[in-house]
Amino acid sequence: MSVLDSTTTILASGVRLTVPLAFAACGEYIAERAGTMNISVEAMMLGAAFTSIATASATGSATVGLVAGVVTGLLLGFVHGNFSHRAQINTFVVGLVLNALVLGLTSYLITTNEFVSHQVHMLSIPLLQDIPLIGKPLFSERWPAFLLLALIPLTWWLVERSRWGLELRAVGENPQAADVTGIKVNMRRRQALLWCGALAGLGGAYLAVGEVGSFNQNMTAGRGYIVIAAVIFGAWRLGRTMLGCLVFGLSDAMRLALPALGVTLNAQLLVAAPYLLALLAMLLFTTQHREPGALGRPFERGST
Amino acid sequence: MSAASLTSGDEIARRFLARLRPGPGGWIATGLTVVLVAVAAGASALLLLLTGGSPSASAAAIWTGSLADATGWTTTLLNAAPLLLVAVGACICASAGTFNIGQEGQVLIGGLAGAWVGLRLALPGPMLVVMVLIAAAVGGGAWAALSALMLRLRGVNVPVSTLLMTFLAIQLVTFAVSTPWLQESAQGSSGIADAASNPLPANARLAGFGQYPSVQLNVGLFIALVAAVGVALVLSRSRWGFRVRMLGLNPLTAKHTGVRVAALGGFTLALSGAFAGLAGGLLLVSPVGTNRLQAGLSDNFGWDGLLVALVARNRPLVAIPVSLVFAVLRAGGDFLSATGVPYYLVDVVKALLVLAFVAPPVLIDLFSRRRGATPQAAPDMSVVPTKVKAAA
Amino acid sequence: MTPTTSAARILELRGITKSYGSVTACDAVDLTVDAGEIHGLLGENGAGKSSLMKVLLGLIRRDAGTVLVRGEQVALDSPQEAAELGIGMVHQHFSLISGLTVWENVALGDTGAVNKQAVCAEIAEVAARYGLPVDPEARVDALAAGERQRVEVVKCLRRNPQILILDEPTSVLTQAESQELFAVLGRVVQEEGRAVILISHKLAEIVQATDRVTVLRKGSVAFRAVTAETTAPELARQMVGRDVSLHDEAAALGMLPVRKTRTAERGAHDRQPPVLRLAGLTVEKGGVKVLEGVDLTVGAGEICALYGVEGSGQAVLGEVLAGLLAPTAGTVEVAGRRVDMSRPGALGKAGLGIVPEDRHQSGVVLDMSVTENLTMKSLDRLSGRFLLRRRAMHSEARRLADEFNIVAPSLDAPVRSLSGGNQQRVVLARELSGHTSVLVAAQPTHGLDVGAIEDMYARLRQAAADGVGVLLISTELEEVMALATWIAVISSGRITGALPVSDATPERLGMLVGGEAA
Repeated sequence: MSVLDSTTTILASGVRLTVPLAFAACGEYIAERAGTMNISVEAMMLGAAFTSIATASATGSATVGLVAGVVTGLLLGFVHGNFSHRAQINTFVVGLVLNALVLGLTSYLITTNEFVSHQVHMLSIPLLQDIPLIGKPLFSERWPAFLLLALIPLTWWLVERSRWGLELRAVGENPQAADVTGIKVNMRRRQALLWCGALAGLGGAYLAVGEVGSFNQNMTAGRGYIVIAAVIFGAWRLGRTMLGCLVFGLSDAMRLALPALGVTLNAQLLVAAPYLLALLAMLLFTTQHREPGALGRPFERGST
Repeated sequence: MSAASLTSGDEIARRFLARLRPGPGGWIATGLTVVLVAVAAGASALLLLLTGGSPSASAAAIWTGSLADATGWTTTLLNAAPLLLVAVGACICASAGTFNIGQEGQVLIGGLAGAWVGLRLALPGPMLVVMVLIAAAVGGGAWAALSALMLRLRGVNVPVSTLLMTFLAIQLVTFAVSTPWLQESAQGSSGIADAASNPLPANARLAGFGQYPSVQLNVGLFIALVAAVGVALVLSRSRWGFRVRMLGLNPLTAKHTGVRVAALGGFTLALSGAFAGLAGGLLLVSPVGTNRLQAGLSDNFGWDGLLVALVARNRPLVAIPVSLVFAVLRAGGDFLSATGVPYYLVDVVKALLVLAFVAPPVLIDLFSRRRGATPQAAPDMSVVPTKVKAAA
Repeated sequence: MTPTTSAARILELRGITKSYGSVTACDAVDLTVDAGEIHGLLGENGAGKSSLMKVLLGLIRRDAGTVLVRGEQVALDSPQEAAELGIGMVHQHFSLISGLTVWENVALGDTGAVNKQAVCAEIAEVAARYGLPVDPEARVDALAAGERQRVEVVKCLRRNPQILILDEPTSVLTQAESQELFAVLGRVVQEEGRAVILISHKLAEIVQATDRVTVLRKGSVAFRAVTAETTAPELARQMVGRDVSLHDEAAALGMLPVRKTRTAERGAHDRQPPVLRLAGLTVEKGGVKVLEGVDLTVGAGEICALYGVEGSGQAVLGEVLAGLLAPTAGTVEVAGRRVDMSRPGALGKAGLGIVPEDRHQSGVVLDMSVTENLTMKSLDRLSGRFLLRRRAMHSEARRLADEFNIVAPSLDAPVRSLSGGNQQRVVLARELSGHTSVLVAAQPTHGLDVGAIEDMYARLRQAAADGVGVLLISTELEEVMALATWIAVISSGRITGALPVSDATPERLGMLVGGEAA
């Protein structure tokens, strides 16, 4: 009984830790398929987490907070897109600066403001939540978590089946050819970053007004980088990226749960696992041409 | 023969000034930068006002903490040394066309290697400090070399691998300080290991020059200054530097003329890691740091040093004044937080400053292209083809 | 479909002007194209051909002028609009995306939902109608050059364009493939009443395939005529803007018939002692042999040419000889000594200089100074072990700049600020400085204007006269015939034959290029 219970606890906590990663990873996946190595996903999540709590506190509605988080992510995606795919500033530089800016700004504002705690309500699916072991973890969550059920297939459909996605992939593989075909390369990349911002914002806001109910300094604590690791681990395929998020979420849950169970396992190893796995994945995959051909390379018309 | 190439003092001064002059875009860029810096300052002031703070009082606090008296200057200059070291390293590998963004982790690993030497090797007197610093440089260099190796063997994108390695470094250090290697009185009474190593022995600390109330310095700043000037000279005057610049600007032509592209690129990446590691060692042995290893040892020196290099557009000599400005913000920020304004304000100011310096040349290029002129300015800074490997 | 014989005006451009900053690419260009004709657009590099076509495709916006399609004025603001108006283009480069499948590439640029079945069916239909077999499910990176070209044509024809633009379509094709392409085009215009605009800088092609021709020079229309009523020399004169009497220029312009050169007449049979010897040179890329057992010898003081079409392995050989690519097997000997190809810079040290195919990529460092670019290979001689000797570098650069007539704002100016011809001279000067015994010139005249081409020919001849062995790697038949004493032909990575220029005829070379023994 205790084994079953603790397994359920770890699973439940693992799924809860996975959800924000999965939202953001859907976004990062699209940004990278379009050719942007977007490291400001951390800023998008953190900024959204902050504004969602601030807005929820001001309006009294956690749902409005969630929307505010999405808007924050969109805004950051807009800024990043225009800096790196209009003004052509190196995308890593833009990402670094945005991360530093948002971290500083949210840290400053949280120490100078008091916010009231708010949380979106739970949604439990009747019957299904009573399934032993997996019932609670999978079918009893804060309601926005269930949006994933729609967003993951939507993301897949957008990339693999829609015209927008076909053009997106073309832009990520070979922007020169896409341009000649009449696709507005940098516009597609900016759009992908907007989508990325919205989803990363949803992930960050979910963390704040969904799981925790409040905001603390550097709340995301590098989750954005774990999202990047998940996309790499997934070799730029959506299904495997989501699997990566689940693996990373579960390893985080284990880290939190194991001391209480009296199991001594190296916590640092579990924290490091996502980065380690992502590096290993890159060592295994990059020679197989899995990554988008023009990932991280800016496009300007006329530069061959 | 080197005497023949040395020119008069005037000539050297002129060249020095020429290097300081803004890059593409000329005076328009300078003007735009000034405007944007003003905007950044204004935005920061506005942020303070909106949160009930006083911009003038905060500015005064930053001034007091960093430049007003000998204590302030001491703090500022002690902060400037590790910043400058990290920035100089970043300049080297950016000149070679590689973008290392994992300095924060390289600083930490440098600290780890230095702390191990400092705690485990019973060396006499100042020998120990020297060994700590050397070990730190080797440690940081080795950590960066792993990224170089991944690029060489499997074409792994350098910015991404150095970034991910940073988080590995944090966990490695957190783990290491809880082991008996670095902590003899391992378990506290609570049963939870301390999150820091034992303090380094007294002879593993840098002696300061000058006594309170005058400015107290240690040799760290001089190491950093010598490194900056030395790297600037090596890059512009030596055959090795010539090859590095060629590699950065056009790896194919460099290869054609006989440059070992992969080896040189990897070496400069390791070298930049070594400078970051040296900064980590300095944080161990200098009063600005913690004197013991902990995950907080790097304290954003790696990220900030990288930002210094970005603002300086990868010119080591320009990095000297820029690192001083960042050091002023760091030192002043500490004082500021004592007056009740969160330190994080300084982080906001730093990020806005970097934007103000990074944006102008690109904006000018953008506008001139809008007007239809052919783009003249080469994409400067570290706008690096991320796949240098394609050349290999 | 009834054959259309009426000369219906399908496209009319009036006063098209487009400038980039101070440079005017197109200056009030008028062009009319009728249904049922192949219209040649002839001009040198930089004459404004591609800018004009980009306007027509909606890729760039014109500054002034009107476009009429079937008599109606159109805006042409986007590639989509151009496609809707029935304007389609077969691009030469950068148009197919290798990570995608054939059908996905074909579907790119459409609008509306993606319907795989419909696209594949249309591909099959077009392929059957024109005899252009393609596999819609194949990934483009698995296709050979000729197949890619077919996909390009299918992609364009599927849109059912009324106006079909082809940009230098034959540069990757063998002569036989070119003939097939022109046969398809002939059917497109004669049986289906479409119009084709054929962009080329090759006179022979224009004369052979087109019905009418418009010649552009420096952004303006210099000449227009019915092709049958004009002659190649006249077209050449109009293209260059003066009489083309010099044989070199004629060669540069691709004018047939080819005449033998003085060098060629000078005993091509008694070969000189070899300074460059390639033996069994093989390069594998991704499991495919892109060069296979290449044997080639260049004697001192002779110009030997390696002729082939794009994608035949010429570029790979250029990369090997530039030291950018290590061969999988085989040996390279320079001046009688075997070169260790795994050591970077070994070829240069052994005395091999190379003018690479793409000088911006592997010839010069655009953001370094003229001095630095001129001396980067001779630092052993000009500098100490550790430090640069700037004065020595400067005086060497000054000497080379004078000798090779390099026009630069200053020797400290970045090479970026020089004209294309002067950049090419910087490369040539550097590669000939020192103890060069072999000079490899890969497509040395691509992208240069006629004056610069003449200069390049003169300098290559001078180098040979000075005793340097010259290997000319070129896709231009006329260039090869005009300069070389001995011509080797490469096809699909193999040398298919080598013959002295006195025995060479365009027909024989063409058969060798097609992979047949002559």
